[in-house]
Amino acid sequence: MTGKTQTNLQTDQEYWNLRARKSKRARWRQQSILIGFLILASIPVLLPYFWLFTISFSARTGGVESFVLWRACAILLPAVFIGGAVQMFIPSRRHRLDAYFAIIVVALIALVWSIGPYLHLENYRFLWNPNIVEELKGMSGAGGDQFPWVWSAFWNSLIFACVQSIVVLYVSTLAGYYISRFSFPGRSTFLQSLLVLHAFPAMTLVIPIFLIMFWVGLIDTITGVVLVVVTLELPFSIFLMKGFFDSVSWDIEMSAIVDGASRRQAFVKVVLPQVKGGMLAIGILAFIKGWEEYVFVRTLLFEKSNWMMSLYLFWVSEDIMGVDYGIVAAVGVFYVLPSLLLYLFFQKYIVQLNIGGVKG
Amino acid sequence: MARIELRNVSKVWDNVVALEPTNLSVADGEFVAVLGPSGCGKSTTLFILAGIYAPSKGEVLFDDQVVNDVEPRDRNIGIVFQSYALYPHMNIRDNIRFPLKFKKTEKEEAMRLVEESAKLVHIEEFLDRKPSQLSGGQQQRVALARALVKEPQLLLLDEPLSNLDATLRMSMRSEIKTLQQRLKITTILVTHDQLEAITMADRIICMSRGKIEQIGSPKDLYENPSSLFVASFIGAPPINLLEGVASQEKLNLNKGSIILNHAHQGKLTLGIRPENIKITKDIQGIKSRVGLVEPMGRETLYVLETTIGELRALVPESAPQWGQGEDIFCQFEKESCLFFDTETEKLVSNLRLVAIE
Ligand SMILES: Nc1ncnc2c1ncn2[C@@H]1O[C@H](COP(=O)(O)OP(=O)(O)OP(=O)(O)O)[C@@H](O)[C@H]1O
Ligand SMILES: [Mg+2]
Repeated sequence: MTGKTQTNLQTDQEYWNLRARKSKRARWRQQSILIGFLILASIPVLLPYFWLFTISFSARTGGVESFVLWRACAILLPAVFIGGAVQMFIPSRRHRLDAYFAIIVVALIALVWSIGPYLHLENYRFLWNPNIVEELKGMSGAGGDQFPWVWSAFWNSLIFACVQSIVVLYVSTLAGYYISRFSFPGRSTFLQSLLVLHAFPAMTLVIPIFLIMFWVGLIDTITGVVLVVVTLELPFSIFLMKGFFDSVSWDIEMSAIVDGASRRQAFVKVVLPQVKGGMLAIGILAFIKGWEEYVFVRTLLFEKSNWMMSLYLFWVSEDIMGVDYGIVAAVGVFYVLPSLLLYLFFQKYIVQLNIGGVKG
Repeated sequence: MARIELRNVSKVWDNVVALEPTNLSVADGEFVAVLGPSGCGKSTTLFILAGIYAPSKGEVLFDDQVVNDVEPRDRNIGIVFQSYALYPHMNIRDNIRFPLKFKKTEKEEAMRLVEESAKLVHIEEFLDRKPSQLSGGQQQRVALARALVKEPQLLLLDEPLSNLDATLRMSMRSEIKTLQQRLKITTILVTHDQLEAITMADRIICMSRGKIEQIGSPKDLYENPSSLFVASFIGAPPINLLEGVASQEKLNLNKGSIILNHAHQGKLTLGIRPENIKITKDIQGIKSRVGLVEPMGRETLYVLETTIGELRALVPESAPQWGQGEDIFCQFEKESCLFFDTETEKLVSNLRLVAIE
């Protein structure tokens, strides 16, 4: 009797052990596939940026020294794969961190040793040299016209992106709140048209907008471009903002109103704090959109003093392409940096966009 | 502190009638419970009083003044929402202090009042937390503290105890009640829990489908329900209802019949509360057999199969007890038998039980 239960117990034990091992193995397999996939998928995305970055610090006038790129790749790729392996094979978190640290140190030393001597800041001289094109091609080559300094384009872009995102944020917050909270005739039609408007590619509107701007007299002014870009961006922002307001409960607002707040006070003190994250996300996306804007900047602005970063990049590459890849790459890095930093800092809020939700 | 009156107030959403034309008056300092099943328009009534909804028709009066056009914030009302409606981005202290900000209370005074009302509902140790870090019951008490802190003239409570555990609910019931009596705030409590309404309120307003069915003291509603709805909604275990057809002085119920005090024609429903049924071995009354036996602590609930239909009888512990399958007889307390017109669902008040055949 006892013997029988004993064996039963044993087989039970074995059975559960087997199960546990099996599921452990399955989990391990899944994780390794995931990590492998992530590494492979991110390489084509990251490589161009990596290329841009390396070139901007290593290229010299007259040619690209691609061996720097290859050496960097030869060091970094194995480092990344070893990192992936560490993630998979080392179970303890502390050991993993130690291993990462070791990998990073080794890779850094290898980088400094192999390509350190070839790195320089020459290509970034456009930052302190007001007329880089003139210097490169000589007075005559530049066509007499002054090529603007990069900082003038930078400030234009910054002001444009800021003003544009503030306007988008302000209008879409108020409009989103109104649509979310009040019923008015044609509300659902309005909502639908917001989405439809967003579906048209802005490109199709270039010519009519050009003509309208021309007639109104806003052609070649930053104000004009701000208006155009804001208009195109608003429908979707309003729609998103409405979604955020929808998720704030009525009761909270009503409670504030009974507690003695006016409608406006309730909005500012109770409702707005709930959609803070959403507002930040929309503001940042609008800023980045403005920072990247090219189509309308290109078509509606002519005066060089009105150039923005996107135009600056375009003309730099147009004017000195074939002469100096390094400078073009450096301008590119300088151009990407602000939106990259913004993304990194506010990632958390941008991800929220999914939560704020798109509700009818 | 305020006398409340509704005159022909109704509320209609596009095509849903949430509240039929309603008349109601609540005396100064009275504690009234609005009792009814889910969706009967309790919250709607409350929100009309608070000024959150404008009535579709009719007038709302505070102290004989029409306040239809007075903003909610000028009505000096404390309200606890069904969903608590705490401000998620503020800590508890700021939540409770929020109403005082608009009253321009001095900071120190405000802090004192916050502490005081937090103590009242036993949440003083949570003052620095965010609402999301509290349990449902604690949040409910915060909402109560916030409603009380501004010393409102009218306190509106929308199911303020629904999320508390049984013990806490009981102590909160008596606390709210004593608090109300001490502060003498006119209070309207919305609930679907009859026990809550019966134990706390001076008067109960029983609602169903947007209509007030009956207004009265708890005792009144229990003993003299004016309709089938009130009779069946109030009382646990619920009242026994037996449908039958009356002809002359006889009411035929199922296979049996009973004698009424005077003639009646048409369908009638007999209502008798479980505790008004007596079980004996004497051969007198309705022949029945004991079905299920459910001990309920100090009482026992018997399900009886009788010739007039299934009945539930509540027998106190001290009385003789019976076993399943036993043949017994049951008798009704004659004056507690209620007769309702099955069609109109209204009480037929002049009918009495004379004898059981
Ligand atoms: N904003 C609205 N639009 C349309 N119908 C509504 C609205 N608010 C409430 N109703 C309807 O009015 C009726 C009464 O609702 P109310 O909220 O007063 O019910 P209640 O008695 O408080 O129920 P519960 O106990 O579930 O809270 C319901 O049938 C509801 O569907
Ligand atoms: Mg309700």
